[in-house]
Amino acid sequence: MLHNKPYQCRLAMWALIGGLFFFGGQATAYETDDGTMKRRQQGILTGMPFMANVVPRTFVDDLGRKLYLAKEPNRLVSLAPSITETLYAIGLGDRVVGVTEFCDYPPEARSKPKVGYSRPNLETIVALQPDLVLAPRDFIRPDVLAKLEQLKIPTFIVEAKTVEDIASRIQTIGRMLGRSESGDRVAMELRRRFMELKARTEGLPRPRVLYVLNSQPLITVGPGSFIDQLIEMAGGANVASRAPSPYPRLSMEAVLAQDPQVIIFPVGTSEGISPGEQTLWRRWHTIAAVKTGSFHQIPSDLLNRPGPRIILGLEKLVEIIHPEQFAPFNSPPDR
Amino acid sequence: MAHDTTINTAATANRTSGFDIERSIVTHRRWLTVMVCLLCASTAVVIGSLRFGAESISYTNVVDIVLLWLRNGSARMESAEPNFMILIYVRLPRIVLAFMVGGCLATVGVGLQALLRNPLADPYVLGISSGAALGAALAMLIGAGTTIMAMASLPLFAFIGGLLSIGIVYRIAVSYGHLPVHTLLLAGVVLNAVFSALIMFITSIMDPNRSFGMMSWLMGTLLAPDYPALGALALYVGVGTAVLASQSSALNILTLGEESARSLGVEVERLKKIIFVTAALLTGAVVSVSGLIGFVGMVIPHAVRLFVGPDHRLLLPASALVGGMFLVIADALARTLLAPSEIPVGVVTALAGGPIFLYLLTRRKGGLAS
Repeated sequence: MLHNKPYQCRLAMWALIGGLFFFGGQATAYETDDGTMKRRQQGILTGMPFMANVVPRTFVDDLGRKLYLAKEPNRLVSLAPSITETLYAIGLGDRVVGVTEFCDYPPEARSKPKVGYSRPNLETIVALQPDLVLAPRDFIRPDVLAKLEQLKIPTFIVEAKTVEDIASRIQTIGRMLGRSESGDRVAMELRRRFMELKARTEGLPRPRVLYVLNSQPLITVGPGSFIDQLIEMAGGANVASRAPSPYPRLSMEAVLAQDPQVIIFPVGTSEGISPGEQTLWRRWHTIAAVKTGSFHQIPSDLLNRPGPRIILGLEKLVEIIHPEQFAPFNSPPDR
Repeated sequence: MAHDTTINTAATANRTSGFDIERSIVTHRRWLTVMVCLLCASTAVVIGSLRFGAESISYTNVVDIVLLWLRNGSARMESAEPNFMILIYVRLPRIVLAFMVGGCLATVGVGLQALLRNPLADPYVLGISSGAALGAALAMLIGAGTTIMAMASLPLFAFIGGLLSIGIVYRIAVSYGHLPVHTLLLAGVVLNAVFSALIMFITSIMDPNRSFGMMSWLMGTLLAPDYPALGALALYVGVGTAVLASQSSALNILTLGEESARSLGVEVERLKKIIFVTAALLTGAVVSVSGLIGFVGMVIPHAVRLFVGPDHRLLLPASALVGGMFLVIADALARTLLAPSEIPVGVVTALAGGPIFLYLLTRRKGGLAS
């Protein structure tokens, strides 16, 4: 029956989709008198905004788990560098009692007790007596999470895939821990700088970018990876955008054919691009980036951590990809 | 066919072996026929695979570029189109590398299987490969910042690692006074486990950015080497293969059993040492350029033995050529299946080699015990 009336069906489908968008729009935003759009306060159940005031201490995390907090958590364990940075950014550094071995920013975080990373030491966590554990969705192992639940340790899972996600998670964490104001402030600042950056790169030609995670074998970032998104946001065109996986081993043939204009190497805190690696790349002298010597390094922590410093990473990427837009970022904006 | 043992003294006239009894039906003519056929097939495979890669280049284009290259050398490269760069500096060296690596692994497999009279023997089972990989991993850890230094020291470290593991296996096994095959294999298995653990330890203490790269290198990776590096590798491979080939008559006699070989004048312990050191050298060279590529050393000698018989004078060079072809084809698949991204070639060899092995096993059950 469906294939008998394809036209009507398609029409009905579009009507349905249109309706969804229409009602969806109705549910989350409304127009105020002065004509500006405002977001309605988010409750735990969409469509019942009043619930937000009725049950203020219940939060839903990114796994859809409900978490009820009777009182404001005072002893926090962070299981990701990005979460640690968020907590410090909203002024909660002194409440953090445990961090991962990779939490090196801000420097004070280094002196906090370490609990491990994707396979954290549960005994250490229990001994720290946290009243809230904040964990990233991508790296928390299901068995660890189950164990934490079994031990009745409140756990909140965070997942941020976009810059907007990052901003809204900062706000959520702020609300949850009684720092709504600073959470909102950090998030709004992040959004403002992001919009400014977007406005600046809009309409510019997009240089072809190769992001080298590893030279031999060549591993880069493809569609579905966070960094691929960041490159696009920074006004570049990732040469591996046709690759089938987020972290593909890219064929050198494809690189030569795509002819990247900018090659970016993520580096640790202090080391630069090693001379050996540069020599390796100089072999391919037909590539535009090699001809112009456009090799750049970027601190990998700035791009790998979906936290408040992501905007620094993005600005650095824009500096590299669009050097003509470089200067204004150094001086603070007038506003 | 090949298992009917007949003595053909005329056939061995040109290959001076110094032994009274030759267990062989390999005539001069048959040797030539097989080798010429395989050489032709190898050439065809290498030329055919020039067509396949992440970027499609048509055959006419391939011919044009190769002719241009042969005529002008690399002098005109500055103005060259990307296809020239891709074909001559990425694809061709990689195909040649694949051929050498495959040939090497198969040759080492033949040598070890003959020596241990065990179809399971293979550089991986004996722990030589993981020893070499451990050496290479150490070189990467030490030469962390300087890739060029690491590149230069990799084969040396890998060779030392391979030799070390062989030395340990040999020491353990020889404590019984001679070298019982089962003890040797067991020692290899244990050593393999220990070395794998050490490699995992090294990757766990490395900078995560770097250890990610090393893990994927270990999965079996053929890079596009530059021509000097390819030449250096060819030197290693040439010497190693020649040494193994020079022992092929002794290996034939060794298959009769150690006692018999000893009574026939073969210095068995010395032969073992030669084979082991050569195996470590070849495995080290191969692992340092390609990581761990499994299954070639075990499957190819078996397959070739089924078709040309157990005489090592033919088996050894034939396995080298077939192993080379096998890896060139496997690598062509690795390069093209998910283009523009690549699959670790070690994955392809294991997935392709396993079924081939099983097929041959069920087709000729008796054929495996040489």
